[in-house]
Amino acid sequence: MDTSSPAVFVNADLLKVYQGRRVRAVVQVARDEGATMVGQSTDGHQLVVKGSPSFPPSHFVEVIGIADGGQSIRAEICTDFGTSFGAQEYNQLCVLANGELKSLFL
Amino acid sequence: MYGGSQNDGNSLFSGGGFMPSQATQTPDSGVSPAKSRGTQGVLPLTVKQISEAFHSSDDKSGFVVDGVDASNVRLLGMVTKKMERVTDVSFTLDDGTGRIDVNRWVNEAAETNEMAAITNGMYVKVNGNLKGFQGKRHVVAFSVRPVTDFNDITNHFLECIHIHLCNTRLQRQSGDQGQLQTNPIMNTPLQSGYKGHQTPVSNQNSAPSSMGGSENDIYNLVLGVFQEPASVASEHGLHVDEVARRLGIPMNKIKDAINYHVDIGHIYSTIDDNHFKSACNG
Repeated sequence: MDTSSPAVFVNADLLKVYQGRRVRAVVQVARDEGATMVGQSTDGHQLVVKGSPSFPPSHFVEVIGIADGGQSIRAEICTDFGTSFGAQEYNQLCVLANGELKSLFL
Repeated sequence: MYGGSQNDGNSLFSGGGFMPSQATQTPDSGVSPAKSRGTQGVLPLTVKQISEAFHSSDDKSGFVVDGVDASNVRLLGMVTKKMERVTDVSFTLDDGTGRIDVNRWVNEAAETNEMAAITNGMYVKVNGNLKGFQGKRHVVAFSVRPVTDFNDITNHFLECIHIHLCNTRLQRQSGDQGQLQTNPIMNTPLQSGYKGHQTPVSNQNSAPSSMGGSENDIYNLVLGVFQEPASVASEHGLHVDEVARRLGIPMNKIKDAINYHVDIGHIYSTIDDNHFKSACNG
């Protein structure tokens, strides 16, 4: 059992809070620029994902990595969530997991 | 499937919820509601919650989360460090809140095949029995299934939140006990007790004066009707008219109460907008 390095559920808004920490976010791929990928966070902002493999445009991709600057994540693990993913629900979960129910997650 | 003979099964899972012998024992023994709830099903949890679970050392599987027995749990996360051995497969599950070791015994071909399909980096849903050994917590899995719809991830964590809120709210309510206003949400064993207090109130309905009573009373009455075992057992739940007829309360008040309980999540609509069923039983 090890809870020392959790990956916090974040959207673009919450990402700013977790500078240098391990986070997880879902982004919808807008464009792939080789080593970096630009996508839309679940709360509708632009996020840059560094060091991710390529994914087809408009796919939802979960990125687990280190929050690196206010709008980018240094990817460690990326998972393709496909094209039908409830981004809004995920965004709500991010908000809940960082609010009064934080104790369940962090 | 889980162990050919009963003895094997029990020693493996130390009374997991799927063992029929357990299921029949608990209701009769009149144990605490929390305990029997746990054996009824699996409790969706985050690894963080498990790390903070209370573990009573005298009981073999005495894990308690939010006052509820947590021997059978459901986790969802990513598989890492998978290791295959002759009799079992083990891996570390990372659900983003923490990591926990999972063990799956493989006796039959079907189990071997199920585990062969699991690879590192894959999201899986694990149902299993929570164990504590020498201070280390791990899960002995009944099933390990790949996540195919990734909305299940969101769903799982929302479920953890929902169950946590249900169980902590229940505790808070029984904290200011005495008041029969408490709703025995998700607490089947208390149902008979609830019915007991319901009878006097239904008499009350014939007296118009009771209508002036607080809204809470009506809310609880309505919820009580939905939580009766017969209502819970019915596939489509109860029709609004049926509730109104049984309680003798005007339809608009019944609908108010139903809307309230739907919003809170105590009941949900079934086949149409007039049929509702308790969300927190069975």
